[in-house]
Amino acid sequence: MTWAAFTSEWTKLKRRTLLLATFVGLAAAASLFVILIFSQAPATGHGGLPSLQELARPNGLIIGVTRATMLLGIVAFGIAAAQTASEYSLGTLRQLLVRQPRRIALLAGKMLGVLTFLLLAFLFAAVVAFAVAVVAAHARHVSTSAWFSGTGLSDLFTALGDISLAVVGYSILGLAIGQFLRSAVFAVITGLAWMIAVENIIARIDPSTAKWLPGAALETVASGGTEGPTFSHGLLVGALYVVVAVAAAAFTFTRADVTA
Amino acid sequence: MAVTQATRGTGQAPGVRLAVETKDLTKTFGDRTVVDKVDLAIPAGSVCGFVGPNGAGKTTTIRMLLGLIRPTAGRGSILGGSLTEPASYLRKVGALIEAPAFYPQLSGRDNLKALARLGQLNVGGVGSALARAGLTERADDKYRSYSLGMKQRLGIAAALLPDPELLILDEPTNGLDPAGIVEMRGLIRSFADDGMTVLVSSHLISEIEQICDYVVMIRAGRLVHQGPVADLRATQQRDVIIAPEHDEDRERLAKILEAAGCSTTTQDAEGTVRVASEGVSAADLNRLAASNGITLRQLAEQTRSLERAFFALTGTDDAGLRPGQEMGAIK
Repeated sequence: MTWAAFTSEWTKLKRRTLLLATFVGLAAAASLFVILIFSQAPATGHGGLPSLQELARPNGLIIGVTRATMLLGIVAFGIAAAQTASEYSLGTLRQLLVRQPRRIALLAGKMLGVLTFLLLAFLFAAVVAFAVAVVAAHARHVSTSAWFSGTGLSDLFTALGDISLAVVGYSILGLAIGQFLRSAVFAVITGLAWMIAVENIIARIDPSTAKWLPGAALETVASGGTEGPTFSHGLLVGALYVVVAVAAAAFTFTRADVTA
Repeated sequence: MAVTQATRGTGQAPGVRLAVETKDLTKTFGDRTVVDKVDLAIPAGSVCGFVGPNGAGKTTTIRMLLGLIRPTAGRGSILGGSLTEPASYLRKVGALIEAPAFYPQLSGRDNLKALARLGQLNVGGVGSALARAGLTERADDKYRSYSLGMKQRLGIAAALLPDPELLILDEPTNGLDPAGIVEMRGLIRSFADDGMTVLVSSHLISEIEQICDYVVMIRAGRLVHQGPVADLRATQQRDVIIAPEHDEDRERLAKILEAAGCSTTTQDAEGTVRVASEGVSAADLNRLAASNGITLRQLAEQTRSLERAFFALTGTDDAGLRPGQEMGAIK
């Protein structure tokens, strides 16, 4: 039943406009980030931007992409929230529930559908961004040989795994918020306002609380851990938010009257 | 409000198989009771009209039958499956609930494929459902480009996907032009000919009258009447419509009839007088008019329409119903 809901969801997700907008949009945004980093990188030294020396290291390939994780998170959150909430605003949920009255199976299938869609979009964006990074490195005469060493490839796959975990987290939070608010626009605005504004304000007022916030926790996961919160701390906090969000979404979805 | 017999869920002859049966079905939202102890008993194979004014509780009842809204109280069974387990019967049920709702960016065909996959139905059946609803030619166009009538057809096609035993259509003629309404009527009748039980809700009683052989009347969340349309017609008194040759005699004629104990209603627009014909035949009225020197240019017996029957049963006027829809009275 969950598989049926999954394949049904993909019938909707694979439409050309959504597919192109998400895959090409994410790839273009990630590539732009990479180009900016390489074009603006100073020859040496430490600062806001990585230097050309740092970019030549084994983990140089992933620097650009990991800097764009907040953007990836926002996109994943927004698309996931819109996909769930629009079932209410379009009124399509009632059609879906008549054909699949087992609501948990429907919810699980929809979540899996959106998650796989966003993970594929992310992986596509990563492949394109890495190709762009190779070209940009050559343009700035940065050696890429360390990128393809054993250490470099190991770092690359670890980073891809970390970012994928964060994308899953952002997506599930988006799906849950969309389910609660039932309005695509309201859900996206609420999510973005939280991640971009509210968490920053809270972190400025009391920096010690920042590591307990969902957006910051997932950003920690995506970047493989920071000098402050560790990867495992971020993973634990992020997972806690995800479990609570899924449980709350499942609870309300199975009990709510569908009047839309 | 009195509930007419053949109503309280037990008006069926023993042995009649029921497609939909509920007992004390109730739904409250906060302190507002929207559906109040409704006992439905809809025979299998019938075309059942579910009528009542806007806000009477029709859509809420239908949503409870489809598992979309949880009843506050009561029980029921649909095609033998318990109302508390919608999964046990919804594979055999097709439904069009209120306005059709589909993904605007997908074609009609892809919308149906998504539903067929979700319901683990044969995707190959999408083509025949589209053909049945007369939408084959535009099946690959995006849903957002459809006219209201085409959207309604797609809703019908979606309802037909599971090859249903029970088809529930909520206001299927909403937004359709007269030609579309006639076509929809034909479609619904053809579903019944195929052996489906069809439950059609509408606030247009005259529409229901033309296609249904069973009727459930609801008002303010309460069941007013249910039973075969033929039985309801048989219990309804007939009216006689009379018109004097000279219009200026109409008021005098009405007064003469009233004096003779008849209940009359003058109908200015038609230039006629409607006489409730309890124990009075058309011939009696003709003789009475002639004896008072009034020649009639029209004299016709007319069975009350379901709309009038509804008003009579509920003791209301037509407030809440669409005006000017009393048409096609059955003679």
